[in-house]
Amino acid sequence: MTTTVVVSGQECRDLWVSGRGPLLLFAYSVLLSAVTYLTASNLAVNFLEQREAVDLVLQVAVAVGVLVALVVSADGVSGERERGTLESLLLAPVSRRAILGGKFAAALSVWFAAFVVSVPYLWVLARGVFIVDRTLLLGLLVGTLLAAGLVAIGLLVSAVSNSNKVSLAVSLFLLLAFFAPTQLPKLPQGFAGDVIRRVNPVGAGMHYLNGVVVSGFSWTRELSYLVSPLVVVVLAGGALVVFGSRIVRLTAGVNGE
Amino acid sequence: MSALLVLALVGLAAAPMPGVEVTLDHARAAVGVGDRITVTARVVNSGGQRTDPLIAHLNVATLDKSVYVDLEDWTGSPTQELAPLAPGADTTVSFEIQAVNVGQFDVYVVVAPNGSSAGRGPLVASTPELVQVAGRRTVSPGGVLPVVVAAPVLLAVAAAAARFRLRRGR
Repeated sequence: MTTTVVVSGQECRDLWVSGRGPLLLFAYSVLLSAVTYLTASNLAVNFLEQREAVDLVLQVAVAVGVLVALVVSADGVSGERERGTLESLLLAPVSRRAILGGKFAAALSVWFAAFVVSVPYLWVLARGVFIVDRTLLLGLLVGTLLAAGLVAIGLLVSAVSNSNKVSLAVSLFLLLAFFAPTQLPKLPQGFAGDVIRRVNPVGAGMHYLNGVVVSGFSWTRELSYLVSPLVVVVLAGGALVVFGSRIVRLTAGVNGE
Repeated sequence: MSALLVLALVGLAAAPMPGVEVTLDHARAAVGVGDRITVTARVVNSGGQRTDPLIAHLNVATLDKSVYVDLEDWTGSPTQELAPLAPGADTTVSFEIQAVNVGQFDVYVVVAPNGSSAGRGPLVASTPELVQVAGRRTVSPGGVLPVVVAAPVLLAVAAAAARFRLRRGR
């Protein structure tokens, strides 16, 4: 546990002090600024009222925040292999599971930082309709669930990929596959549509947020939609814990061939 | 006389929904744009014959010709199927609608015969519910401007300062 904390501290320093963390956050804030301003100024988007605008910005904040965390995690192990730094990392007196735990914490810190950046945007939109508290709390809850699950998947993919390109491509493909159904104009009603909505963790999380923010549902009414994001966290996190010590390894011919 | 009786019987047998009446639970509603309301219709078969399967369809008519109503924006499911009603039986059907336009609207439910009597009518309409939709303040671009400008600028300054300190430390 202590070694995991040490590794995560080092990973976070690498990411936030000398790495690309601040740059990613800056790009994220520029995107949120554009979306927020367009939402507020575009009558076609803003034809209803502020709850719709809050929901739109919240969904973009969660989706892009999770995307950035996934990209960082997908680089976690395969990136070290390609840069030739995994060997020295493996020689350090820490377990491979602790290495994965540290990388998991560092990637998740990107999501938390992204969420902190999104707070003023959500606040400025949600204060007029008195839904600041529920927007921020439930956005944090759902986003953290999605980020934890997808970061764990990203690390698994990264650990078993021989090249960083493959890891990033597979992770982004998975993310797009999860997000694509949420962009469909309308899923079919009835059992089939409900199953599609509930099975896809991203779609289920977004549906839950939409219900609370736009429809004014209580936070408990559609809580069952958060089962699939939770299942992904448990399964992917469990796989990391169980197989972590076996999949973090050097691969012949990857670096210095 | 017997011919008249036969004609009357034939007429009754041909009428797909004799004695069907539709009433809404409210006569008026005042909401803000974006609000959702539930319209509940009670369908009664006060005739002496069992009806065919029925279709209940909700409609929204604007009372201001300058306002365009697209029913799909108001509800995703304006049509519902009803089982055949025995004589004296009744059923209720509910529609959740979202007021997406500002103005005054008549919301009503039409019941039409389905099954073997489809397309033969007559249609039975409820009395309308008058829905008055008030406007609501939306987001102002000016209100969000300080945040959308300040947040990226502050982050850029923080990132540049961190990088500068890192370079000086090396």
